[in-house]
Amino acid sequence: MDACSRRQHLGQWSALGLAFGLPIAHAARARTLRVLAWPGYAEPEVVKAFEAAHQVKVVVTTIDSDEALWRRISARAGADVDVFAINTAQLQRCIHQGLVQPVPMAAIPAAAQQLPRFRQVQHIQGLVHGGQTMAIPFTYAEMGLMYDRAHFAQPPTSITALWDGRHQGRVLVYNGGTHNFSLAAQALGLPSPFRLADADWPTAVRQLIALRRNVAAFYAQPEESLALFRQTQAVLMLANYGSQQLQLFNQAGLKLGYAIPKEGALAWLDCWAISRGTPDAALAAAWINHLLGPQASALLVSRQGLSNTVQEPPYSQPNDKLVWLEPPEDDERRNRLWGRIVSGDRFAKVMAA
Amino acid sequence: MKLGIAARLALVLALVGALAAGLTGYYIYQASRDIMVASAKAELLVSAHAMAKRMAGTRESVSRNLRLLATHPSALASLQQPTPTALNSMATLFASMMQAQPSFIQIRLIGRREHGLEVVRVDRAQAGPVRIAEGDLQEKGHYAYVSEGLKLAAGQTYLSRLAVSHETGTHLGEGKPTVVMVMPVADPAGHPLGVVAINVDLEGTFDLLLADLPRGVRMYLANSTGDFLLHPVEAMRFGFDRGLRHLVQDQMPPTLALVQRRVNELVFDLPRGEHVDSPLVAAFLTQETEVASGDGSFILGLAQPLADVLATVNNLQGAIVNIVLGLSLASLLVAVVLARALSRPINAIGQAARFFAQGQVYTTLPTQRQDEIGDLARSFSRMQDQISRQLEELEVSRRELSDLARLDGLTGLANRRLFDERLALALARYRRHGVQLALLFLDLDRFKEVNDAHGHEAGDVVLQVVAQRIKANTREVDTPARLGGDEFVVLVTAVEGVDQLEALALKLMATLAEPIQHGDLLLTVGCSIGISRTPVDGDTPEQLKAAADEAMYEVKQAGRNGYRVATPLVSVVNEMG
Repeated sequence: MDACSRRQHLGQWSALGLAFGLPIAHAARARTLRVLAWPGYAEPEVVKAFEAAHQVKVVVTTIDSDEALWRRISARAGADVDVFAINTAQLQRCIHQGLVQPVPMAAIPAAAQQLPRFRQVQHIQGLVHGGQTMAIPFTYAEMGLMYDRAHFAQPPTSITALWDGRHQGRVLVYNGGTHNFSLAAQALGLPSPFRLADADWPTAVRQLIALRRNVAAFYAQPEESLALFRQTQAVLMLANYGSQQLQLFNQAGLKLGYAIPKEGALAWLDCWAISRGTPDAALAAAWINHLLGPQASALLVSRQGLSNTVQEPPYSQPNDKLVWLEPPEDDERRNRLWGRIVSGDRFAKVMAA
Repeated sequence: MKLGIAARLALVLALVGALAAGLTGYYIYQASRDIMVASAKAELLVSAHAMAKRMAGTRESVSRNLRLLATHPSALASLQQPTPTALNSMATLFASMMQAQPSFIQIRLIGRREHGLEVVRVDRAQAGPVRIAEGDLQEKGHYAYVSEGLKLAAGQTYLSRLAVSHETGTHLGEGKPTVVMVMPVADPAGHPLGVVAINVDLEGTFDLLLADLPRGVRMYLANSTGDFLLHPVEAMRFGFDRGLRHLVQDQMPPTLALVQRRVNELVFDLPRGEHVDSPLVAAFLTQETEVASGDGSFILGLAQPLADVLATVNNLQGAIVNIVLGLSLASLLVAVVLARALSRPINAIGQAARFFAQGQVYTTLPTQRQDEIGDLARSFSRMQDQISRQLEELEVSRRELSDLARLDGLTGLANRRLFDERLALALARYRRHGVQLALLFLDLDRFKEVNDAHGHEAGDVVLQVVAQRIKANTREVDTPARLGGDEFVVLVTAVEGVDQLEALALKLMATLAEPIQHGDLLLTVGCSIGISRTPVDGDTPEQLKAAADEAMYEVKQAGRNGYRVATPLVSVVNEMG
């Protein structure tokens, strides 16, 4: 699955509903900042603190899908929005359409407090354009490996553990073509998990058929993964929902280990970007600076079970490798082939599709 | 508009009656409404249990079919030694079973070996059952229904999660809500070598269940996490498959207790809301799957619009409204009758008072009544009598007073006022009919001496006797009067001639000259008379009085005790000529 459906899920699963995010109706006489965000990103107390500090009115509109986000920011060339949260893949589209403007880094002193991996924006694909930073990382979730501590003497270090015959029938993997082809590419040591060469496809398909033969089941929802984990007595799972899934298992009494494979954990990253159409880019930059502050960062962890960019999560290390999601070379092809693979077709039949 | 006491009384009585009837009706309605709602809930719960039983029955019937397949000799043979005969035999069996069971959309024999590769598979296609070619058979070992099914003992059933099937190449089953039920196929030692699996089309199965629901009753089915599998609104079913979860506990908050396994069944009311188009009564219960399953349990519920439940009560409501209206009308009538009974005698007394005010006596008073009104009527009657009597007395006094005003108190003759009236009247007659009249002025001679010598009492006696004598010697039609002191006058009407007047004067002089007995005294007075007459002396009171007075004065001057006619006869003749 892609980031879009994850996000939809996040919206409902994080039990916040849309209540907090309903657009605050009227615009005050004072300056108004129009924010577009996912549920849980702009919490009421964070908004209030910003309003008090800058003597402005903040109107937050929550979105529940990438499509909704795109509709809002592309309407009237971005004139309806001042600042918005967007993932790195969608950001590319905005840059190409000229809907965002460079972030004035001088106006965002809080960026200096971010973890090194977020300060080095040039290493994050798609964040820098023409030498200028187009968005500031805000929150992320990586897809690490959850494992049964009793079964593993040492935490799994590689993504290939999912293929390890010793765990045959006790592995759970998310049922999604886009990510699973990336996992296969990582396991095969291909140069980019998001750009399969023509020659790589048959190898990747064989790799995924091998994965299929090693797993107990593929899951879709977090609760389903929990039920399946118990039912199949699984020992290893690719946590598509990352730390949120870890929390769910914890609450259910399953204290699992969590490891970031050396190939790097696939991760989505949401950033703040400034609309090209805003009349007040300085205020938008002030908002970004505010959202990188301790209040908003702490709430992301405590309320959403997400990670912020200023503090390393307790289960990961600074040199853990995160692989920021990029649009794959051919999403449709990945999902078409995956549909056959997960249905149980053998190699020849899959490739005939 | 002013309301009479009767109208007000009737209004109050009628209102009290209507209020009592209305309140009674309302409470009867409320009570029957509560009873209806409670019994509807109980019925829904019974029906929900029946539905759960039917679902279990459906599952058991699939299990029987599975058992038939799993114990068929060809099943084990197909797994151990897959000869074409054994495989064909299985395929034929699958196809015939599929034809008999419209809800079966796929029947398979799946081996343990080769990652759960299907051994025999028959799909339901548009044209009917289709056997899948060997090259198209799929590995299913990564599905829980295979891995879990292989863990079961012979004869046991595993029920997969109820979900939308995304397994490709399943013909009609693809993209449809499906449940896969499996049973292991074991060798004689009891080791499962594979499973038989039947995919059941849930849409058809649900439709069968729904077809038996009473009109207006809605059925809900959710899995153990609360995700709707069956919902009156189709878009709410299997939302999790599209990344949008529609949860029973979100739409019907009381069911959270079921999701959290705190209760096994519950009934509740659901007000209108975002997901509820009209208020509902509902009964929900948790149904365990009873066999190994991916879902573990289900939440099954039935709901009915409150309006339908209350339809019967609403009939009753109509009846109650009629009764209330009837009672109100009756109380209005009673109130009117009662008010009239009270107000009629009061009105009669009022009428009597009005009549009495006009001087009439109203006799039909309700004096016979033995109540307060009777007392009032009797009092009024007594008061009416008393006032009448007093009025009569008053009238007598008034008449007496009036007489007094016109007669001389001492002598009983007409006084000056009455005399003037009579004179005016006589003059009017004279002017109109020519009836002649005359005035005789009398002044007593020597009266002052009597008065001075014998006192006023004697004087009064003299005056009274003189008056009696004048009266006795004048005709009925003439008017003798005392003008004051010792001055008398006689108005003579229908005068025929001076002779008559002179005769009267002589007669009066003679009678007045007679002595008057007063105690031992004999008193003697005389009189001087002046006579005036119409038309010779005038035709106004002033002219006639002046003429008579002057004539009398001349008599006094001439030595008293005589009479004089103001205008002698000769002159009259001359005037008449």
